[in-house]
Amino acid sequence: MQLVSIDRAFVFLLATLGLFSPLVLVASQAKRARILAIALIVGSNVVGCFVAALCFWRESVVLVDFSSFTPFPFALEIDRLSALFLLLICTVAVPVAIFAVSYFGDHYGKERRNWMWAFFSLFLVSMIVVVTARTGFAFLVGWELMTLLSAGLILMEGDSTERRHNVFLYLLMMHAGAAAVVASFFLFLPYSHSLDFASIRTASGAVPAGTRTLVFLLAFLGFGTKAGIIPLHLWLPRAHPIAPSPVSALMSGVMLKTAVYGFVRFVFDFLGGGPWWSGYAVLSVAAVTGLLGILYAIAENDLKRLLAYSSVENIGIIFLGLGTSLIFLAHHAPVWAGLALVGALLHAFNHALFKSLLFLGAGAISNAAHTVDLEKLGGLQSRMPVTGATLLVACCSIAGLPLFNGFVSEWVIFRSLLAGSVLINTKAQVLLPLTVGVLALIGGLAAACFVKVFGVAFLGRPRSKAAEHAEEVPLAMRTGLGLLATSCVGIGIFPGLLLRPLVSLVQVLVPGAGVPPETVSIARVIPFAAAIILGVSITAALLKRRERMVRTWACGLPGLTSRMQYTSTAFSKPIRFVFSPVYRPDRKIDKLPTDQPYFPVSITYRSVRTTSYEKAIYRPFAEMILSAAHRLRRMQTGNIQVYLLYIFLTLVLLLAFLRFQK
Amino acid sequence: MKIAINVLQALALILGGPLVRGIVARVKAFLQRRQGASIWRPYSDLAKLFRKEDLVPPTASSIFRVVPFVLFGTTICVASFVPLVQPSALLASRGDFFLFVYLLAMGRFFLSLGGFDGGSSFGGMGASREALVSSLAEAPFLLSLVAVAILASHADIAGMVAWTMQQNIFNISAVHILAFTSLAMVVIAETGRMPVDNPTTHLELTMIHEGMVLEYSGPRLALIEWASAVKLHAMLALLVALFVPWGMASSVSVGAIGLALILYCAKAAPLMVLLAVIESGMAKLRMYLVPDFLGVASAVSALAVIFTILVKR
Repeated sequence: MQLVSIDRAFVFLLATLGLFSPLVLVASQAKRARILAIALIVGSNVVGCFVAALCFWRESVVLVDFSSFTPFPFALEIDRLSALFLLLICTVAVPVAIFAVSYFGDHYGKERRNWMWAFFSLFLVSMIVVVTARTGFAFLVGWELMTLLSAGLILMEGDSTERRHNVFLYLLMMHAGAAAVVASFFLFLPYSHSLDFASIRTASGAVPAGTRTLVFLLAFLGFGTKAGIIPLHLWLPRAHPIAPSPVSALMSGVMLKTAVYGFVRFVFDFLGGGPWWSGYAVLSVAAVTGLLGILYAIAENDLKRLLAYSSVENIGIIFLGLGTSLIFLAHHAPVWAGLALVGALLHAFNHALFKSLLFLGAGAISNAAHTVDLEKLGGLQSRMPVTGATLLVACCSIAGLPLFNGFVSEWVIFRSLLAGSVLINTKAQVLLPLTVGVLALIGGLAAACFVKVFGVAFLGRPRSKAAEHAEEVPLAMRTGLGLLATSCVGIGIFPGLLLRPLVSLVQVLVPGAGVPPETVSIARVIPFAAAIILGVSITAALLKRRERMVRTWACGLPGLTSRMQYTSTAFSKPIRFVFSPVYRPDRKIDKLPTDQPYFPVSITYRSVRTTSYEKAIYRPFAEMILSAAHRLRRMQTGNIQVYLLYIFLTLVLLLAFLRFQK
Repeated sequence: MKIAINVLQALALILGGPLVRGIVARVKAFLQRRQGASIWRPYSDLAKLFRKEDLVPPTASSIFRVVPFVLFGTTICVASFVPLVQPSALLASRGDFFLFVYLLAMGRFFLSLGGFDGGSSFGGMGASREALVSSLAEAPFLLSLVAVAILASHADIAGMVAWTMQQNIFNISAVHILAFTSLAMVVIAETGRMPVDNPTTHLELTMIHEGMVLEYSGPRLALIEWASAVKLHAMLALLVALFVPWGMASSVSVGAIGLALILYCAKAAPLMVLLAVIESGMAKLRMYLVPDFLGVASAVSALAVIFTILVKR
């Protein structure tokens, strides 16, 4: 009885988001219709949260089959892994939608707003289809729609040439990635009678080693492109920042995670682990991704680009966990493989929460101060206290500080890396513990990066008129921000809530995983530590004090101005200096007039990062394809006799193939 | 009973923090042939600050006001991780060293934010330099602890200490020497002592920690100063507990605890003298030589991890 109602609730979610709301929005411009549609979008996502939660905590399985309506088998199923990601999508979608109510309202006219909402709703449903798909066909349909709809949302925001160029790059890379995913699906076909996930799973044992390796590589490439691992990240810092903030939140927070889902589904669920070197490959790529991602992030001054690069870093951390898990799997240590996988999945969930919070925060800032350039912000905390407090939570979470959710998942990954020392007489015995150092460096740099974000944007004096006149954002926005911040702190202090079902999930994916004692101990110690910290801090704050407002001493000058503060560029200077080989800056100083170098009238200084993946990797590749295409053009002579010859030759070849096939 | 001692030793760590500072300052004065202040001086400084009023810059937001309390809270939490007289502590058996390191990072994160809020250039400058030092110090900090944890097969600090206590004192492995070296270097960087940072100066060319706390005064400054004293003490106690834990009380009796306390003082004293000697004998490093200093620490700690293979087969 209960299962039936969950099934119906799930169909309600799909129908509302996929059909009803978009239709209402497109059909009617009336205000009432729009309110109804938006309420349905939010409401159905709340229902989705409950459906996912029931499936995740209670392990009910929901199966919905649409195959009778579609030419190919199209079925959706929520098992535990799908439930985790469905929970992720719906949990993030609710606050983002609430935030978007006032964001879309402020930024767009009536008609565009309706289209925005319609696409937004369809974008959500496409992601839900991806993570709940039970057949290859459903998965690929969702995958493709997800790309196209997000591109549509980016284009609706504006229509400049640069934007089109970026969207083109985005679509191009996404389709290259999708091609790899399609190919890895089809590699199963000779061994499995259909692309149904269940039959793929049973057939995967029969797949020969060579094909398995190929499937693994294609899946890593395809999902890696979507996730934005370096050097396949090129599209990410271009496409994410130019989308409207709520959409960026969904793209960075949720859409990237569908790639993690796909990778886990393929490599862990279907293949049951890759070839022996797969873990090492994933681990090293992930370490490079994490480190370079955060280094690029810290050098950025545009908040949304900075956040996009930090998504690259976090994807690196997630894949670090996945790689560790694969290494343990290859060395037959399922308990530790399970622990690492728990860490990776938990980090995917946590990153969805705090990254969407950060992107919404960026939206709130741009709403209030009309810019997301850190150099023009400052002093926002006293002007927008709620936004500031929620963003502080997000910054603490992403910096991996205890009592916030980012710490828990990083901690689990740390512990699984440390456990690598039990793999005696393997390369992993020392490699994994040394990776602790890499993750620590990533964590340290992330903390520095988000001290910069919060410190420069919210503290001190405003650096522009717009920032000075910023006002707190409307209630809808604050509600969205507040919901996400609460869940970050909630998971951070009570990680056991998510860890327990995650452990059960991992036991299905990794046979013999067991319950790692680490997951129990962290869930016990964090609330204790939180009690000590909060108790001491509050006691200290309650002590009697006298307070007086005094101007900051200006070293004898008449007063301090905002130009005397440390800027975002100045803050990151020491780190950029130390890691200059990564950035390879090109500096230029022009002094005018040139004949009086000691008494210049004006000095201009420019420093440009010259590390370019486009020049080093993509350009040569694109040129290779172009020149191949040019050579192929010779075949196309325009002469009809030649074409007839081609047809004839093809026919002969096919006949010959048929004759000699046996 | 055990818990009561755990609470007491955490209190000893917290209350003894300023004393450590006083002793180091006194030894430094002796080395520089000055008369120097009494070793109890930091306490009277704190008492004086607690009695004064708080001066707050007009640009400061609520963050500026909250930071000292958060910093103090996290530091107290950190102090309850470190075993002093017995191989256990309030949080040491459940919380591991990753939590320990990240709690320290949390305090630093908030202190850096406090620096920004003053609205002058010095706060941002201190925060920026602290960001560099701390982000580079994190890796050697964790790696040197990882090396010890691998040998002990325990990630909780209590387990690591208990394992070391069972080993023969003369059977020290290369791993321990390397881990101690890098951890000691990290302690210097983390607590802002020479040659990484100079705790006694307000010169803008050199200051890191002082830059961040420049706008603080009164009770808030007292809390920050106390917290950094506790941090120094906790780090020294961690070095003692991890590398020379012998003499800690294995049973709960007044005699054993008392002996352990005396032995702890005897073990910590050379470290404080060493700190004073380093501070008196070395000039502060140029800002951009600090990464090299921490680079050496990272390399040494990585070696320590690699050498665990040889020791543990």
